[in-house]
Amino acid sequence: MTKLSAIPSILPSTTQEKVANSKVLVVGAGGIGCEVLKNLALSGFQDIEIIDLDTIDVSNLNRQFLFRKEHVGKPKAVVARESILSYNPDINIKAYHDSVTSQDYGVNFFKRFNIILNALDNRAARSHVNRMCLAANVPLIESGTSGYSGQVELIKKGETQCYECTLKLPQKTFPGCTIRNTPSEPVHCIVWAKHLFNQLFGEDDPDQDVSPDTEDPEAKAENEHSSTESGNIKRLSTRQWSQDIDYEPAQLFTKFFHDDIKYLLTMENLWKTRKAPVPLSWEQAASHRGDAEAENNVQAIDMRIWSLSKCASVFSDTVSQLKTELKGKSFLVWDKDDKPAMDFVTAAANIRSYIFSIEQKSRFATKSIAGNIIPAIATANAMIAGLVVLHAFRVLAEEIEKCPTIFLRPKSRHSKFILAADKDLVKPNPNCYVCRANPTVHVFLNVNTMLVKEFESEVLKSYLNMVAPDVVLAGKDSIVISSEEGETEINNDKKLSEIGIVDGSILKVDDFLQNYELTITITQYEKSKPEDPSFKVVGNPEEMKAKESTNGKENGQKEAEKEESDDDLMIVDEDDNVKSDDPQEGSSSKKRKLNPVEDDICLIDV
Amino acid sequence: MGETQLSAVEAELYDRQIRLWGIESQQKLRAANVLLIGIRGLGSEIAKNILLSGINSLTILDDGVVTEEELLKNFLLSRSSVGKKIAEEVMVKAQALNPLVKIVSDTEAVGKKDMDFFEKFTIVIATGIKTDLLLKIDKACHSKNVKFICGDVFGTFGYSISDFQEHKYIEEQIQLKGKKRDHKGEEKQTVKVENTINYPELKKVVILPNSKQSIEGIKKKKRRNVLFFVMLTLIEFRNRHNRNPSITTKNEDLKSLQEIKSEIFQVYDIDPAKVNDDIFDLIFGEVVPACAAVGGVIAQEVIKAVSQKEVPIHNVFLFDPITYNGTEECVGA
Repeated sequence: MTKLSAIPSILPSTTQEKVANSKVLVVGAGGIGCEVLKNLALSGFQDIEIIDLDTIDVSNLNRQFLFRKEHVGKPKAVVARESILSYNPDINIKAYHDSVTSQDYGVNFFKRFNIILNALDNRAARSHVNRMCLAANVPLIESGTSGYSGQVELIKKGETQCYECTLKLPQKTFPGCTIRNTPSEPVHCIVWAKHLFNQLFGEDDPDQDVSPDTEDPEAKAENEHSSTESGNIKRLSTRQWSQDIDYEPAQLFTKFFHDDIKYLLTMENLWKTRKAPVPLSWEQAASHRGDAEAENNVQAIDMRIWSLSKCASVFSDTVSQLKTELKGKSFLVWDKDDKPAMDFVTAAANIRSYIFSIEQKSRFATKSIAGNIIPAIATANAMIAGLVVLHAFRVLAEEIEKCPTIFLRPKSRHSKFILAADKDLVKPNPNCYVCRANPTVHVFLNVNTMLVKEFESEVLKSYLNMVAPDVVLAGKDSIVISSEEGETEINNDKKLSEIGIVDGSILKVDDFLQNYELTITITQYEKSKPEDPSFKVVGNPEEMKAKESTNGKENGQKEAEKEESDDDLMIVDEDDNVKSDDPQEGSSSKKRKLNPVEDDICLIDV
Repeated sequence: MGETQLSAVEAELYDRQIRLWGIESQQKLRAANVLLIGIRGLGSEIAKNILLSGINSLTILDDGVVTEEELLKNFLLSRSSVGKKIAEEVMVKAQALNPLVKIVSDTEAVGKKDMDFFEKFTIVIATGIKTDLLLKIDKACHSKNVKFICGDVFGTFGYSISDFQEHKYIEEQIQLKGKKRDHKGEEKQTVKVENTINYPELKKVVILPNSKQSIEGIKKKKRRNVLFFVMLTLIEFRNRHNRNPSITTKNEDLKSLQEIKSEIFQVYDIDPAKVNDDIFDLIFGEVVPACAAVGGVIAQEVIKAVSQKEVPIHNVFLFDPITYNGTEECVGA
C-alpha cells in the first residue's frame, strides 16, 4: 500500500522527492510565518526549523492563527512548533526562541538548509539574513506585507538582486527645530511628547531636548546672543529639575506648555509667516470646557479626541503614575502598549497641538503614529505566504527563472491586477554595496566631531546593518574597532580624527559573522543646516547618475519600508495615487526618484 | 453597551485590522452572518480568514465525510476525523481560531436546502458545487439582496465569481489640500468617495455549451483573459463527471478536458492555440498554497462585500497557475 502524501501530485516526481527531503528554515513566526508553516506542513515538507525571538501579544491573534489567547506571553517559535505538531506529529520541526542575528547562527548554520524563507518584520534582520544567505549561497525567499499590500521576492546570489541592491529609504526624520520650536503637524507634537517622556522618565538622550532651540537659524537673525547659550534656555537638566520639584504636575505643565511657549514667542522671526502658539496655563487647561466625558466605553476613550481638560487631567495622573513606576529604576522605556506611557504621550501631544493650533488626534490615532504601527490583516498574509511556498516548489525544482517578484496590491478602479508578477528576475545591481564583488561605499561625515562609538553604532550597525564589525584603517594597518571585547574600547570616546581618520581615509570593514567585507572611503563633510543628517552614505558618487538612468525605474519604484512594525513592507508603486504615501511611511516613489542619492540617516526616532 | 459597540476585548484583538479598515467596517463585520458551502482545501482557508476577521456567525455547510486524502490538505481536521462528517470535525479547530464567532455546523446536502434557507445570511460563499445548483443559489441570493461569491481551486489554478448585486461602497482617497507647499508641509486630507457597482447574475457569467443564455455579451469583448475559458472548462468537467479531475485517472481526465475545452472554445470562437494544453497538467488536486492565495483573495472580497469599503473585484478573479498573476475580469456586466 502506498502511503498518501501531502506533496502536490502535480509536481514532477523529482521535485516531489526534493520537497520530501529538503530542509527549510523559516525566519519569523509572525503573520506570514504562521501561514508559511501551515503551507509547508500541508505540502509534505518534513524537515522544518523556525526561529523567532518574539513572544505572543493579543494584537497578533487576528492573523497569527497558530496562537490563541492562552498563549499570550509565550515564545512564538515554540508555540508555532507545538501547533504544527498537534496537526501533524510526524513532521520534524525544530524551534529556536532566539534572534536570527545572534552569533550562534553563523554561515554554517545557514548552509544546512536547502532554502530559507524570510517572514520578518524589520529591515535590520532582513539585511542580516540576506547577507547570511549570500555568504552561504542558499536561496532566500523574502516576503512582507503592509495592510492590503505585499510582496514575494526570490534572492539568489549572482542571479537576482539581493535585498540590499535597492536603496531603502530611512524612516522619516524631523529637524530638531521643527520638533522644539515650530511644529506644524500632529506627528511633530507626538514626537515631541515622546521626547518629553524620555526627558522626564527615560534614558538620557541629548538629541531629544524638548525646550525651545535658540540655535534655530530662522530665529537667529535677530537673536545674535544665543550662540553662547548652547541652544538651551535652562542649564539645569530637565530630569534633575523634575526630580527637584518631585514631578509636581502643575509646575511641569507650566514650564512646558506656558513658560517655554512664552519664550518661543520672543523668537519673533519664527512667527512672521506662521501662526504663533498661545501659552496655556495649568488653570486654563484644567478648567477648559470640553465635551462631557459621560461615555466610558472603548470607542469614547480611544477613538474620540480628548477635551483639553481631559488632557490636563490625564497629564497630571500619568505623571504621578510614571513617577511611582520610576522609583528604584534608573529610567523607564517608552512602550506604546504601556497604558500610562501611551496616555501621557496622547495628552502631552494634544496639549501641544492645541497650543500651536494643530489638529488634535485620538489616542488610537496617536498610538499608530507614536508606535509606528503598520496595520496587518490575515488575508494579505495568507496570499503572500501561499505565493512564498509556490515559489519554494520552483526553487527546489531549480526553476528559479520562473520565480520573478510578485506584488500584492489593493484593488483599484484603475487596474485589473491584485497579484502582479514581474516578467523576469531582476538582475543584481552591479553597484550594490553588499552583493557585488569587493563592495565599496563613500561615507560623508565630520571626522572632527563624530566619535568612534557613534561611527560604530550609527554608521556601521544601524545604517549598514552590520552585527560585529572589525575596522582597519588602511595604510596604517591599525585596528580602530574590534568585535573582540576589550581590544579597542579605549577608542570609543575619541573623535575619528584623533585616531587618524581624516578626509580621504580608507577603512576596511569586515563583519566576520556575516562574512561581509566592505571598503569605506571617508569624505569630510560638515552640516550646513541643523536639519542636515549627521552623515551620508552613497555608493560610488560618479556611478550614481548612470545607475539612475539605466536602473532607476526598477530600483526606484520598488519599496519603502519602515522598521519595528508588524509584517511590514510597503510597496510604492509607480502609477499609484497619493494613497500609498501613508504619512507613517515617510516616503513615496516620487521622493525617491527625485532624491536617489539622499539616502540619509535619521537620528530622530519617531 | 449597545450591540454595535465593540468591547475592549474586541478592540484589542482586532486592533491591527481596525487600523486598516476602520471601526465602522469592524462593526459591519461584527453584524455579518456568513454561510460557507464546502469546507475542503479552499473552504478551510476562507473559513480561517473570515473567522479571524471577526464576523458574527459562520455556518459551515458540507455533507462530506473526511477521507485520508482530505486530512492531508485541511488544517482544521485531526487524525481521528477520518470517516466522520467533515462539517462537524472542523468545529473544534475552527472555533479555536476565534472564540467570539458563533459557528454552526450543518451536514445536510446543499441540494436539499430550500431556497429561503439562504435568505438569512449576509453573504453566501460557495465552493465545490455544480453549476445548476450554483445558479439556483445565486438566483435566490440575488432576489433577496444576499451577497454571493463562489470559487474553486483546481491544482494551482483558481478563480472566484462575485455577485454583490447593486453594491455601494466607500473608497477612501487621499487628496492634497490645495496647492503643494514645500516638502515639509504637504497637507493631505482623506476623502470618502461613494461608488456603486452593478453585478450581473451568475447565469450571465457562467454560460456553458447547451445553455439557453446568450453568449454575445461575453463574446463581444476583445482581449478577454483566456483563463476565463479554462475556468469554464473545469467547471463543465465537474458538471459532466460529478467530480473534479483526479490524478488517479489523469490520462482519461486530460482527454475529457481537451474535449470540453474544444467545445467551449468553439462556442466562444476562441483560437484553442491561445491556451497550451499543458496547463491542464497543473489542475489536479487542491494545492494548499494555491488555496491559501485564492482563499485570501476570496475572504478579502467577503470582507469588502460586508463592510462596503474598498474597491471589490468586478466580478471574476482568475489566478494564473503558471505566472501566479491574479487579475480581475469583468464578465457579463
